[in-house]
Amino acid sequence: MTRRRPERALVRPHVVTGGRAHPTRNIFDLVTLVSATRTRATGLSPEKRRVMELCQGGALSVAEVAAHLALPASVTKVLLSDLVDSGHIVTRASAADRDQTEDQLLREVLNGLRARL
Amino acid sequence: MQQQLSAVAVCCLAAAALIFLLILLRQRRINQRMRDRVSALERGVTVRDEELAHLVTARLPAKVQSLNGRPVEVPGPLNERLADIPYGRHLERTMEMFAETGDRAKTRADESAKATLKAMMRGVQSLANEQQLAISRMQVRHDDPDVLEGLLRIDHMNAQLGRRAQVSAVLCGSWPGLQRSASPLIDVVRGATSRIRDYLRVQVHSQVSEAVVSRAVEPVVLAVAELLDNAARHSQPNTPVEVNFQPGHNGMAIVIDDAGVAMNAEELKRAERLLAGKEAVDINRLGDPPQVGFAVIGVLAARYGFSVSVDTRSPYGGVRAVVFLPAVLLTRLDDRAQAAPKPAAPAAVPSPPAPEEPGSEAPQAPSVTAGGLPRRRRATAETPAVDEAAGQAVAAEDQEPDSLPAPVSSREPDRRAAAGLGAWQRGTRSGRATVPPDSEGKSQA
Repeated sequence: MTRRRPERALVRPHVVTGGRAHPTRNIFDLVTLVSATRTRATGLSPEKRRVMELCQGGALSVAEVAAHLALPASVTKVLLSDLVDSGHIVTRASAADRDQTEDQLLREVLNGLRARL
Repeated sequence: MQQQLSAVAVCCLAAAALIFLLILLRQRRINQRMRDRVSALERGVTVRDEELAHLVTARLPAKVQSLNGRPVEVPGPLNERLADIPYGRHLERTMEMFAETGDRAKTRADESAKATLKAMMRGVQSLANEQQLAISRMQVRHDDPDVLEGLLRIDHMNAQLGRRAQVSAVLCGSWPGLQRSASPLIDVVRGATSRIRDYLRVQVHSQVSEAVVSRAVEPVVLAVAELLDNAARHSQPNTPVEVNFQPGHNGMAIVIDDAGVAMNAEELKRAERLLAGKEAVDINRLGDPPQVGFAVIGVLAARYGFSVSVDTRSPYGGVRAVVFLPAVLLTRLDDRAQAAPKPAAPAAVPSPPAPEEPGSEAPQAPSVTAGGLPRRRRATAETPAVDEAAGQAVAAEDQEPDSLPAPVSSREPDRRAAAGLGAWQRGTRSGRATVPPDSEGKSQA
């Protein structure tokens, strides 16, 4: 069952990120895993507190965090990079990341494209 | 003989003279009376003339002025005695008819202006809502920070546009629109922050666990947004606008402080009059540029039963605005339910087993409804989930059975789903078997 997005969210994303759209670091994609390093979440905004709560139980992917917060992934990345900066969470490369450097696969794709064009 | 004749003649003459004298006297009296009467009548005519002139030159113009909304006192008749004769009564009647006609024309003009403005603003409002949906969808779809930056700016402007339209519509007697589910107070304030220009200057400090009941969310958001906007507008661009929450004896106060300029006595008086919300808002008298903030807050406060005051000085030198929400407008969301991704909120769609507005009543805390009746709880809801998600399962089920599987943790999703489906089934069965508790109608009315 798919949950309908609360699209008319009361708190708009520009307030959530303080008007920022660019994450302070460019280390996230949808499958990057994040986990909490601290249990205390005082002085954080409600969304960040919620991220900390979500990440207490283990690693979560950026996409999952975004879905739980009902926020766009790009907005979530801004929040997460703030939390990484303040040392509240750490990132882990996902399993998918490690397989990406398969030269063979890339070469095949390249060949395929050349054959097509 | 001669003598006799002359004596008779003298007598006759004397008699004639006497009669003449008598007639002269009488004539004189009559003359006098006539003269008196003429002068009285002359005076009467003068009084009437003066009265008529007074009506045309003083009373009617004053009435016109007062109909136009200026604070002019309409003078009474010059001569009170005229009120007893038909002439005076007719003059009064003229005056009354004039006033009635003027009043009626004014009311009609006011109503039609309001209706037109309301319809137009409704159109703008629904467009702004549609646009917001489109922007939200784009925010989800596009991952590029540059695009997002643009979208955030558009979203911000759209939120302000929507608020303007909403405020104008409310001023014309419309509802604030947009049903929302009960929302935490802090989200209500941040929602208000979303809709003002200088949102970055607003700092929300304290944390509270109270929530606002669903029917009051949008009005409180609008009122707080107006106050925040006022605060930000009337203070230096580099000073913060602080928001604090102050729990009170039977409610909660939202305190908004700015470091701007304080209001003078006249402004304060006007603000107080408008915030009381007792008199109908005349949209023709909002000034140029129209000052709608306090007027709309007054309307909302009177309609939804909260109160707003701006008569205290902020410790930072500016104005301290206090929105007091009575306990009736507050509720408590279950901590987990609140923290969890809020269930989709089709507030007006009743779902068969539990026709409640999602989250409009705290499912756990109060065992007595607002009307003072004991609240019936579902007996079997708590049993299935034993893990940490139990609380949320219960809350989610109470709120809206068909949006259940919104897992709080990624562990054991199957079990949660099974528990959820089971709870739903049980809920349906018990809902069909018994009459649903009818507390909602009262507390939501």
